[in-house]
Amino acid sequence: MDTAVVVILSALTSIAILLLTSLGLAVVFGLMRIVNMAHGEFLMIGAFATTTLVRSGAMPLWMAVLSAAAFCALIGVVVEVAFIRPLHGRRLIDTLLATFGLSLVMYQIAVDIFGTASPGIDAPPGWLQLGRYSVSYYSLALPFIAVVVTLLLYLLFKSTRYGLLARAAAQDAEMASALGVEVRRVNLYTFVLGCALAGLGGALLSPVVAVSPGVGQSYIGQAFMTVVTGGPAFLLGTLSASALLGGVANVISQFSTNMWGLTGLLLVAAVLVRVLPRGLSGNWSRQL
Amino acid sequence: MATDIVRAMAQRGLLWPVLLVGLALVLPSWISNAGALKWTLWLCYGILALSLTLVWGVAGIFSFGQNAFFGIGAYAYAVAALNFYPSTGETLSALLIAACAAALFAAALGYVMFYGRVGDVYLAIVTLSFTLILYTVMSSTAGPEFRIGVAQLGGFNGMPSLPGIAMGGTELNIKALFAFVACAGAALYALVGFLVSGKYGEVLAGLRENETRMELLGYDVRLLKLLIFTLSAALAGVGGALFAAWGTFVNPAVFSLPQAALVAIWVMVGGRGSLAGAFVGVGTVQWVCDKADAIIAQQTPLVLGVILLIVVMVFPGGIVPTLRRLFQRISPKLMSRTVAGAASANDHLTMPAALVSTPSVRGTLAARDVGKRFGGVTVLDALSIEWGSEPIHIIVGPNGAGKSTLFKLLTGQLAATRGSIEFNNTAITHLPSFERARRGLGIKLQVPSVFLGLTVEQNVRIARMAPRHNRSAKASVETVLAAVALLPQRQTIAANLSHGEQQWLEIALLIAQNPSMMLFDEPAAGMTQEERRKTVELLRRLSEQHTIVVVEHDMAFVRALAAPIVMLYQGGIFKRGSFDELSADADVRAIYLGRKRAA
Repeated sequence: MDTAVVVILSALTSIAILLLTSLGLAVVFGLMRIVNMAHGEFLMIGAFATTTLVRSGAMPLWMAVLSAAAFCALIGVVVEVAFIRPLHGRRLIDTLLATFGLSLVMYQIAVDIFGTASPGIDAPPGWLQLGRYSVSYYSLALPFIAVVVTLLLYLLFKSTRYGLLARAAAQDAEMASALGVEVRRVNLYTFVLGCALAGLGGALLSPVVAVSPGVGQSYIGQAFMTVVTGGPAFLLGTLSASALLGGVANVISQFSTNMWGLTGLLLVAAVLVRVLPRGLSGNWSRQL
Repeated sequence: MATDIVRAMAQRGLLWPVLLVGLALVLPSWISNAGALKWTLWLCYGILALSLTLVWGVAGIFSFGQNAFFGIGAYAYAVAALNFYPSTGETLSALLIAACAAALFAAALGYVMFYGRVGDVYLAIVTLSFTLILYTVMSSTAGPEFRIGVAQLGGFNGMPSLPGIAMGGTELNIKALFAFVACAGAALYALVGFLVSGKYGEVLAGLRENETRMELLGYDVRLLKLLIFTLSAALAGVGGALFAAWGTFVNPAVFSLPQAALVAIWVMVGGRGSLAGAFVGVGTVQWVCDKADAIIAQQTPLVLGVILLIVVMVFPGGIVPTLRRLFQRISPKLMSRTVAGAASANDHLTMPAALVSTPSVRGTLAARDVGKRFGGVTVLDALSIEWGSEPIHIIVGPNGAGKSTLFKLLTGQLAATRGSIEFNNTAITHLPSFERARRGLGIKLQVPSVFLGLTVEQNVRIARMAPRHNRSAKASVETVLAAVALLPQRQTIAANLSHGEQQWLEIALLIAQNPSMMLFDEPAAGMTQEERRKTVELLRRLSEQHTIVVVEHDMAFVRALAAPIVMLYQGGIFKRGSFDELSADADVRAIYLGRKRAA
């Protein structure tokens, strides 16, 4: 019984991590059709910003997490203006390659600043005792945070002016701008939101993983698969894909090794792509 | 004579390889061991870059998976060589196994992607994820249980002490290895060059330019993509095997993100569409990296990132195409020629005696009870219609009546929600588009769908080569082009034609395809009065041998065709009759003029 509960809790934590590391990518891809290859590096920057702020004693964890997201948003502004905007109207592969170049640059800068390994931070203390097992409160909190973030995003896109304009620009940029939507500005906000979400994901992850310049790269493959299998409804599709892929990968890893968990994730994603080429949400009538 | 042979070889891309082999045999005695080592590595990378040029530059499929197949090739070589070398004394079989292993993985991955019809951006993501997940998987194979035969996979540290390329019990020395790799590179270059310059090259170019048109002409796009993807993976696999033999070592770093970026950078720098660009790109980028390393050590990702950003933002074309353009500006004779003294297209429309030497069977097409719903919206509702009794049939109807949707159901671009479709008395309801095209169903789309980046002549050649089930005679390229008065522009790039001419070119593709049934979706849109008159003439000519169905708004055009008309309205058949009958009908007039119908 305890074992079952622990297995489920652990699966929920992995699902939350997958969701938090994928949302930023999903927002930018879903609304701008841009594959942000530097997404993993934004995760990494969020994580490093958090560990640096907490270790210096400047602020408590929750404040550091929010500051990390804000810091990533700032970098996002610069990246959008300097690299994404000039490539507007070019082939999709061009932005993909440009952000790829950016990710390499960011990675190397992080190596130069922090070295290849760096001291981490502790998760907030506290354990839940379940028979022979103990589960940290922090890993229990992650699923709640993930759900709250998704819910807030849903509200943002459903009931704010920006959300409506962003969805309009995503559907038909030309028509939207003909109707007076300033698509350039909407795209800037969307990209920055994606970067902030990536920063938030990395920040929330920082107490539970070893933070290194390569940390983003170890999550980005899974994040990509999640977004692809999620399909066009970029919030709820990503949520369901995280639940499915994260759940499968985690349960397999618990009973064998991490390697088989990842292989399982890849195989499930492959089968899904074959059966539902437009993703899990491909046939849904909802947009988010 | 000799110059002719040289020119023919140059045209099929065989000149460079021969020169390269010559160089490879002479050079080793002149260069140092260190130089030979470096050049061998660059050649291995060059083969990898060549594989991406083939799949991306030529066939238009962007794959981040090339370095995954390179890595799979390297690992397969390592496993096979460690297992077989002690007994056989050679590793050439390992080279072959490497190519097969890479091809096998690519076939499996490609099947999922192409038969699942994954879009191009998704394809980049899926192939990259595949690479990254391989990286993680291979990094976690450190335990003793991860063993294939005698070969330990070795996890993060990889597999050391591999046998190099060996024949007859002895391994090649550094210079001999260089010569071997150069010859292998030249052979693969020749293979790819041969493939992309002949008619396969035109098919691949068609794939890159316009998938929908390829499908509607009868090409199985999924299979073609799978084949080219698998072949390019085999190339990458050979590159990887040679790389493993060069370093006598392989580790998971071959699957890493910087390595994936590197392949794209080489090809971008060299120039996507150019085979030689693959090797030029490798040479340039690796040279720059070496030089940069001497100035700021250990910053390779930074240097690569900056190069990639500069190339994408500033020189998206790459080195070789830029040089070629420069060269063409200096020597304009090499520019594409146009046939001199030819009359302009609109001067006359010459009708050849017969468009095809043997008349094809007139097709019949029947839709029974077909319907199509998008979500909650019913676009077509239980519509039944038959064509083939007359040479020409016409469909009219206001916007949103379901005309284009009906055509899409007939050609298989959309799947019907209900009902069945019969073509020449066999059910085709569930057949894919290309299969319907092969049986003789052709369509001219509303927005001209041609191969914009190719010449008029190449466009028609691709249509002529399209696979068909009945081996009816094909009109020659000249006959087809003469029929639509595009003969003078046969060397013109389709993108440079006027809108009306592009419409005509698409009709030419249809004639070359020679289907028994031809669907025309608004053929007169965007044409001048004179062009419209000629189109009527052409359609009548075609209707002597083919069944023709035309969707059109232009009433003068419809009247001139003088054929039975079916009017669609709100997803169903509203009226049938001749032009005069319909134009006299008060309800029809009310719908076309947008007034409410009298109750």
